[in-house]
Amino acid sequence: MSLPDEVDDLPSLRCVSIVRSFSDGGHSRNVINDVTMDLHSGQITLLMGPSGSGKSTLLAILSGLLTPDRGQVMARENGRMIDIWRMSPREREQFRLRNCGFIFQGYNLFPALTARQQLEIVLRWGEGASGRDARKRADEMLEVLGLKGKEHKKPAQLSGGEKQRVAIGRALIKRPKYCFADEPTSALDWGSGQVVIDQLQKAAHEYDSTIIVVSHDHRLLEHVDISYHLDDGRLTETDIPVNRGGEFESWRAGQ
Amino acid sequence: MNYSLATLWHERPRFLPGIMAVAFSAVLIALQCGLLLGLFKITSIPVDNSSADIWVGSNQVLSVDLGRPIQLSMMSRIAGDPRVAKIEPYYQAFASWIKPDGGSALVIVIGSELDDGNMGCVKELSPQMRDALTEPNSVIVDRAEFSEKGLGIKRVGEYAEINKVRVRVVGETKGLKSLAGPYVFCSRDTAKLLLRNMTPRDTATYFLIRLHNPADAKAFSEEFNTKYEKRRDMDVMTSETFSTRSRLHWLLKTKAGIALGYTALLGLLVGAVVTSQTLYAATAASSKEYAILLAMGIPRRKVTATVLVQTFWVGLFGIILAYPLVHALAGLGRLASVQIPLPIELLIIAAVVTLVMSMLAGLVALRSVRKIEPMNLLR
Repeated sequence: MSLPDEVDDLPSLRCVSIVRSFSDGGHSRNVINDVTMDLHSGQITLLMGPSGSGKSTLLAILSGLLTPDRGQVMARENGRMIDIWRMSPREREQFRLRNCGFIFQGYNLFPALTARQQLEIVLRWGEGASGRDARKRADEMLEVLGLKGKEHKKPAQLSGGEKQRVAIGRALIKRPKYCFADEPTSALDWGSGQVVIDQLQKAAHEYDSTIIVVSHDHRLLEHVDISYHLDDGRLTETDIPVNRGGEFESWRAGQ
Repeated sequence: MNYSLATLWHERPRFLPGIMAVAFSAVLIALQCGLLLGLFKITSIPVDNSSADIWVGSNQVLSVDLGRPIQLSMMSRIAGDPRVAKIEPYYQAFASWIKPDGGSALVIVIGSELDDGNMGCVKELSPQMRDALTEPNSVIVDRAEFSEKGLGIKRVGEYAEINKVRVRVVGETKGLKSLAGPYVFCSRDTAKLLLRNMTPRDTATYFLIRLHNPADAKAFSEEFNTKYEKRRDMDVMTSETFSTRSRLHWLLKTKAGIALGYTALLGLLVGAVVTSQTLYAATAASSKEYAILLAMGIPRRKVTATVLVQTFWVGLFGIILAYPLVHALAGLGRLASVQIPLPIELLIIAAVVTLVMSMLAGLVALRSVRKIEPMNLLR
């Protein structure tokens, strides 16, 4: 399978011939079936598909959380492409610590901690940042996210949209090279969803991050750089959205 | 900022059972140890409540109530030492008390000098009491023994028999209960008469020594023990050594320590299980939040450390909650004439044991951290 012509620069993340199966009632079922794709820095890539199509599994494999049965996930580090699944678990953990941010379905914020503390904890535990540095960077991020004045609020005192913004802040505070988002807008009204996508776009452009969003929210289509469709574990269709190339193009796998 | 403490405060209803369990353990351990200490303090009353610096007894004497007669002539070995200010004989032995109604009881007869500078009288014997004891065949017993089940007498002035000698009760003490048999205090001469069968004429049970400088006691006892080691006929002990030896003997002999120890251990186990479950549940409840951090590459040991710090706080709060209760219960005990001494060393040891217990419980609860799997967030 070939890749779209527009994507001709060196990818920041490339997966090649990924296969992953799960045991299902005694027999093995392929959830990801020979998926190859390139992801680029500074872009938001949307991975769409119906429930059970394997989107989240693919996200887990790309982000170094779930081992593929076959295939490679190559990440660009220091100008070289390195297979993250050939790293030791410790190296992979270090890789994620250096490079990865996550936004999962649901906010998963610590109920006892304030908005500021949710962000600080990432810097203090992850980078060993000083209390003062962590606080300064957390406050800056909260301000960017429009949460100035809400630094002291705990999750129970924040609206759904605000909570998701804190969760985004937590993912982006370390300016990750890769940001993996699983259904980041599905529980939000469109206004809040718009803020989420704006922040992801900002991260892509300002931090040159590679953003991968798994969603079945079609409203996202016009806001991303590239979208892939996954069906029954196979990548079936790649769209370059209309607002990116000026002309909507569709490319169907195998055609 | 402390994330563990913030979580503990925010979710206090969740952590409360753990804190209560630790408090329960701490109360149980401190009180059991205090009770044990109080119980066995009784066995060393004759040593603790008198004023000698040194006790000289029969070789390898196990406890103050188990002294065998020693030759009075041995006093000359010690009396000439320039450090000795005063030396006096002391008599103590078990004897048979015949109650006015004919029943019998085993008692411990204690006979000592009665003059103002004496060392053998327990401090509870006032000058008037000591004066009364100069009357031949007079004795003083503790008020707690004034009952049918005790010594069978109802008031001061009554008569009884000790080793077939008629004695008169001329006074009463308070709070001098005994473990092995009621103490019967009397003069040296009365004791010699009452104990004539067990204590030959030229013997005593102990020699009590007062030193010019009490700080010399340890060196003094070591020196004499070394000097007369080969004769194996006496034991020279500081009053602290003899007191501890007496308590330990009874503690081990009666195995009461084991029974109380088991109860304390049970308390610890209950505390550990509840603490462990509390922390397990609390960590499991936050597993999604922790999973996010693990996904972002934050090492699992950071989460582990957080849980362990939580167990530390749970332990500390439990102890802080427990100690006022321990003191209140010890006070109640005193009202019921049960001595529960709570020296600071005991409270510190109980606190350390309880903290270690809660930290161990935390280690058990860590299996919830091992179960956290970032991948689960994507299912």
